[in-house]
Amino acid sequence: MKGNLRDFSGTQILNLVSLAKKSGTLGVDRKDGKANLTFREGKLIFAAIGDADGSLASVLSRDGRISREQAAALAKRAEKTGDKQIGLLLIQKGYVTQADIVRSIKKHALAAVNQFASWKEGMFAFDGTSLPDTSRITVPLDLENIIIQIARVQKRDEQLEEEIPSLDVNLKFVERPTVALKDLQLSKDEWRVLKFIKPDNTVRMIANSLNMNEKQIRRVVGSLREAGLVALTQARQREKLSPDERHQKRALVGRLINHLQGIGAE
Amino acid sequence: MQTQTVKMVITGPFNSGKTAFVRSISEIDVVSTERSISSEAEKVKETTTVAMDFGRITVDDDLVLYLFGTPGQRRFDFMWEILSEGMLGFVVLVDSSRSETFREAKSILETFRAYAPTPYVVAANKQDLPDAWTIDDLRIALRLEESVKMLPCIANDKESVKNILLELLYSILEEMDEEV
Repeated sequence: MKGNLRDFSGTQILNLVSLAKKSGTLGVDRKDGKANLTFREGKLIFAAIGDADGSLASVLSRDGRISREQAAALAKRAEKTGDKQIGLLLIQKGYVTQADIVRSIKKHALAAVNQFASWKEGMFAFDGTSLPDTSRITVPLDLENIIIQIARVQKRDEQLEEEIPSLDVNLKFVERPTVALKDLQLSKDEWRVLKFIKPDNTVRMIANSLNMNEKQIRRVVGSLREAGLVALTQARQREKLSPDERHQKRALVGRLINHLQGIGAE
Repeated sequence: MQTQTVKMVITGPFNSGKTAFVRSISEIDVVSTERSISSEAEKVKETTTVAMDFGRITVDDDLVLYLFGTPGQRRFDFMWEILSEGMLGFVVLVDSSRSETFREAKSILETFRAYAPTPYVVAANKQDLPDAWTIDDLRIALRLEESVKMLPCIANDKESVKNILLELLYSILEEMDEEV
């Protein structure tokens, strides 16, 4: 099974692997990174994506359970002993519990699946013979609910694209919010967007200022609209000048140009 | 007859050269609000602007151009919107030799675009330094469209600063032509 995610989406592949209870490794090759997702009987058991190589040291470090320095030392040791031995050592020394390890691996796997499902292109190939070596700690993750959740989010994103087709619109606070302010619970991103709501700010400008991509800003704006806090308005156009005003402004700019051109020449 | 005043804003990240830019061209001693830098992390220079730099160019008896340099540090950004009110256009200064400030420069550019839909140019300052990024590389790093003017600049050179302001004025004219 091989192809391009452009033609066969990540969610479709995950669905196929899960339904057919396949075992093996799905490799994805993209310009900005690679991924290897390994399945046993349709369940995800190991994930390496981009910089997150899926090793125990990396997984625990990313989850904040050990420091980067500890992770670097453990990664070196794991080359000789393998992740299972490292896991046992950490449990014996009291750094983490077995439950911590399982939780961190599941969290990593879930993030990897979500990232993979968001990729719109990349060559993929499924190798039914490739499984992780036995020294790895594998935690089976049932994909059914995750796929449903991902599909739901993707559908919501599609709806948001229809509701907010252009980001070159403004936001305004509604005069009578439908939500009681005392019940209001906003995320950090929602607060950040609210701070930028001004007559001149388009949604695109807000996204750029906050380093959000189109999907992220649509989600935030969508939830603020659903909460009845904001409404979309047409972007403020540049002030239209009358022919007379235009003439005056042109003359003014011309005088400034003449003056500046003369600076240094006198 | 009452003197007409117009305003241009010079903005950009911390230590991008805004104060030097205004000083180079202003006919008066720049009214500056510099204070000593308290944060060790930001001690690449001794002082920084906390409210604004103010410079003036008198065109004739009834027209004066004011230049306002914004404070570069985010904690003084409440001044930005006030300074941008009614501006003719703005210049975004970028320190071409400090890539760690490029993201901030882009963010400041977007913030000012949001304040007012006026023309602007991007000035790649410190082009005389050996580590300066080229204009082409900077354009890519800042993700600037081809239509945005990106100009080489040396903020303490009067001729260079003059050219930047002229380019901004040409942009204003071009934009007026497009609107017709």
